[in-house]
Amino acid sequence: MLYDISLQIEYHYPDLADAGRHQIRVMPADLPGEQRTIAATFTVDPAPQEQVERTDFFGNRLTELLFDQPHESITLKVKARVDRPAPVPRLDCSPTLSALAAEIAGYRGVDAASPHHFTGASVRVPIEQQTTDYARSLHTPGATALETISAINTALHRDMRFDPEATTVETPMLEAFERRHGVCQDFTHVMIACLRGIGIPAGYVSGYLRTIPPQGKSRLEGADAMHAWVRAWCGREMGWIEFDPTNAMMAGEDHIVIARARDYFDVAPVRGVMRSAGAHTSRHSVDVAPVV
Amino acid sequence: MKLQGDHASELDVSGLLAGYDRTHDVPDELIAADGSIRPVWHDLIRALASMTPQEIGSRIARGDQYLRDAGVFYRHYGPQDTAERDWPLSHIPLLIDEAEWQEISAGLIQRADLLEQVVADLYGPARLVEEGFLPAPLIANNREWLRPLVGTVPRSGHFLHFIAFDIGRGPGGNWWVLGDRAQAPSGAGFALENRIATSRIFSDIYGHSNVERLAGFFREYRDALLDLRGDNSSRVGILTPGPLNDTYYEHAYIARYLGFMLLEGEDLTVRNGQLMVRTVGGLSPINVLWRRLDAQWADPLELNEASRLGTPGLLGAVRSGSVTMINALGSGVLETRALLAFIPRICEALTGEPLRLPNIATWWCGQAAEREHVKANADRMTIGDAYATRLPFELDDISAVGGKFTAKVKETVEAWIDDGAAHLVGQEAVTLSTAPALVDGVLKPRPMSLRVFLARTASGWRIMPGGFARIGHHGDRPELAMQRGGSVADVWIVRKDPVRKESMLPRDGIHLMQNLPGVLPSRAADNLFWLGRYVERAEHLIRLTRAYHVRLAETAYPDTPLLTDLSEYMSSLDIDISRSVPAAISTALASAFGSAAHVRDRFSSDGWLALADLQRSVTKMSGTATAGDDAARAMGVLLRKLSGFSGLVHENMYHFTGWRFLSIGRSLERAIATTFLLARFADPEVPEGAYDLAVELCDSAMSHRRRYAVGTNRETVIDLLALDPLNPRSVAHQFDELREHFGFLPGATPHRPTTDLQRAMLRTYAALASRPAYKLDTGALKDIGAGIAALSARIGHAYFR
Repeated sequence: MLYDISLQIEYHYPDLADAGRHQIRVMPADLPGEQRTIAATFTVDPAPQEQVERTDFFGNRLTELLFDQPHESITLKVKARVDRPAPVPRLDCSPTLSALAAEIAGYRGVDAASPHHFTGASVRVPIEQQTTDYARSLHTPGATALETISAINTALHRDMRFDPEATTVETPMLEAFERRHGVCQDFTHVMIACLRGIGIPAGYVSGYLRTIPPQGKSRLEGADAMHAWVRAWCGREMGWIEFDPTNAMMAGEDHIVIARARDYFDVAPVRGVMRSAGAHTSRHSVDVAPVV
Repeated sequence: MKLQGDHASELDVSGLLAGYDRTHDVPDELIAADGSIRPVWHDLIRALASMTPQEIGSRIARGDQYLRDAGVFYRHYGPQDTAERDWPLSHIPLLIDEAEWQEISAGLIQRADLLEQVVADLYGPARLVEEGFLPAPLIANNREWLRPLVGTVPRSGHFLHFIAFDIGRGPGGNWWVLGDRAQAPSGAGFALENRIATSRIFSDIYGHSNVERLAGFFREYRDALLDLRGDNSSRVGILTPGPLNDTYYEHAYIARYLGFMLLEGEDLTVRNGQLMVRTVGGLSPINVLWRRLDAQWADPLELNEASRLGTPGLLGAVRSGSVTMINALGSGVLETRALLAFIPRICEALTGEPLRLPNIATWWCGQAAEREHVKANADRMTIGDAYATRLPFELDDISAVGGKFTAKVKETVEAWIDDGAAHLVGQEAVTLSTAPALVDGVLKPRPMSLRVFLARTASGWRIMPGGFARIGHHGDRPELAMQRGGSVADVWIVRKDPVRKESMLPRDGIHLMQNLPGVLPSRAADNLFWLGRYVERAEHLIRLTRAYHVRLAETAYPDTPLLTDLSEYMSSLDIDISRSVPAAISTALASAFGSAAHVRDRFSSDGWLALADLQRSVTKMSGTATAGDDAARAMGVLLRKLSGFSGLVHENMYHFTGWRFLSIGRSLERAIATTFLLARFADPEVPEGAYDLAVELCDSAMSHRRRYAVGTNRETVIDLLALDPLNPRSVAHQFDELREHFGFLPGATPHRPTTDLQRAMLRTYAALASRPAYKLDTGALKDIGAGIAALSARIGHAYFR
């Protein structure tokens, strides 16, 4: 499917921001065989004093910005055309959890693709008894990794309520889980904790979600903002598979990838430190329209 | 023990060692296995034996006095309180002979080279993981392994430049490495202070004992850091977490000792990949930074977001190769406790040789066979956090020592190991050797471990000939005996031949560095400026309080018009006159102290002690002084102490840019206070006695008597306190001072106004100086006061941003 994506993020600083350095991760990724970015522009207003492009440890593209003049607002804009074909359906050839453990142990490497980065606690995803117990209760003895992940993906959608008012980007994972509500970021962090708790390597994907549903289908949750979902390692043979617990589905042609890493901390769209006396307000709008 | 030809008799020696009750089968540094005194100790023990207890006592007092005078302290973080504590010197040094030291050196240099190879691999090809020498999870789950720096080669080509090892002597008499300190080891500065104090205690013995000097090591290390700058004249910085850190004293001390800039994270910024210092003269590049800050706190943009100690963009500067960090950010991964399990095999694989100095036996429970071994031998092990960077005997929240938990845990040790296997490590519980310590005047054996420092120089690793010995408490369990709260001792490496005298003078060809006036970090300038203002403010508040209580003591009626006016004025300055020592005074002094704490490397210990003494006096007086005469006298005491501090600073401080900011703060505060004081007490409509009060508050009563034949009137008061430039208390005099200082600040010219700040000051000055005394009415004075106050913000804008 071909999409035109536009994103606008605005920050306002009523008391003038003095200086700031930011890392921005908002551009659709170019993923050979999975997703192709045909054209993309990224604009910043006012013009920053420095703007540098690079890739991070996990291979994600990012832009570093430096503002060193006082400014009262920053506007970031993305316009992109992306081709995201539907993934080919695959047979489940993932191992059982105990066989998966052996496969992980057999992986000698700490390269970006290594499952070892995704097994333990990370900055925003602690491994908690509650999420591990929940995940264990959904695991049928002898089930494959993929079956177990699917079961958890479905269960979380059933048990957690999507509620954009209930949490903020700072809400801890466990709090969202215990209250059984949140947005895509919370669903994703909870599922990652569940999977890591039972030994399945799991990571975070940030991206865009198709805004306008195909005819006859309802609009997906989280489509009016940037989206997030889960990727899990299903053994050497199947590799990484992506699930969207907010919508109880596998990530597919409706999901456009920006960045993949351990959790939100690694791939937050805007990260940064601002020297400013007061608070700020922000606005953020997304449109992902199929090209017809 | 045979000590022939001594002036101390055998009897004296055996008397000295009568209480030395060493434990059977634990090696001792002083007494060999056969019961004889080890040769390296002979001189010291003989000398001690010939001293009376009184002499030993007075020698120790001399060392302690030095430490107190130098203001050596460390910050102790207790469960209830955080406080600065006296330095816990164990007065008997640890002696090691030359031959043994050479073996230790060779072992530690081998280990230093090995660790450099390991860390270069972990941030490079990671072959040690690929080839199975290190388990991947141990690296991937390690907080100190910094993904943003994987693939970055350090600017200097090396990750490690200054490291330390904690070592101890085990039961067999051999030395063991207990832990690697590869990130930002502390203690080198304290080792120097221990040396100075201990050599004062035993000055005669130290002078004759062929003890290796420490200065040569520091000189070579300093020169190595200067060389790392490359072709430029930038200064070397020491990055500190700030005054709240437990070893901040040491950071300030070593910065002074080596002549480096002491910097905090907010002093630094990054422009186009280059690390810069914010100075009063603008941004100035810096290439070499000795960090005493753990990596996690170094850059809130990419690491711990909550850090207020770091510099956003620092990692970017490292990636772009513009700065050499001592040690490279990320080298903390080498301190991981579990790594000790793998280092011996890695050594053989990479160098083809075994470790010359073994490390303490360690098993990572993330491996099945090792886990079973730890479970089966838990009673002989200390089991704790695999990722911790502390020493084996520094216990975690939950550790199991000898098969028992140190905290309340519901499970069994075995179940605990199975549950958290990948996060746990077992280490053999070694009994460390004992060394002599004076306990209530008697020599006693105490468990000991040693921290040894290594620096990379042009000719390879250089080892500090000495170090930092930690002396534990007496205890049944050696690992518990070594927990926090012990003391520290100097370490003497004793040679057979006389040693060379060393000094910090630079080697030939390198001239003494001159500090350019512009390289004063903005934050230091800001703190000095406010230190000047707060001290002056405190003085003004004390004078007001004294004037009030003097008058109160003289009258039976506290509601005379003058006292009413004065108390109103004091209330407007937030002085609560119902208390004899108003809180406003202690607040101003506490603020002065807070500012001074950030620039401790910039003024003398005497100045610091004077300020600390002042603060203590205020606290004491707050409880005791009563209104009237008593309070007035107390204020007099404070004023004298305050002028003691000001004298120390203004008489002894070199007239660097920093001194100018301190002086600007003082003059500005004095000008503001005097102008508003005149606006109030030189007004035509004031009660009787107000003119005299103003003259007294400005400490100008004598000048007034000599200068004018008449008593005080409005015009003489304004002339003397506002307009007379020869009166050091007048507003005009403050303007003269400010004009001179402003002329020497970066960007300015001394004899004509070239900066906005200079021009703004001249405008305000003209408003004052162009009026005769009778035209300086209350309205004009208030305008001038506001004009002077506005200069403060201009200074901040121009130099402290």
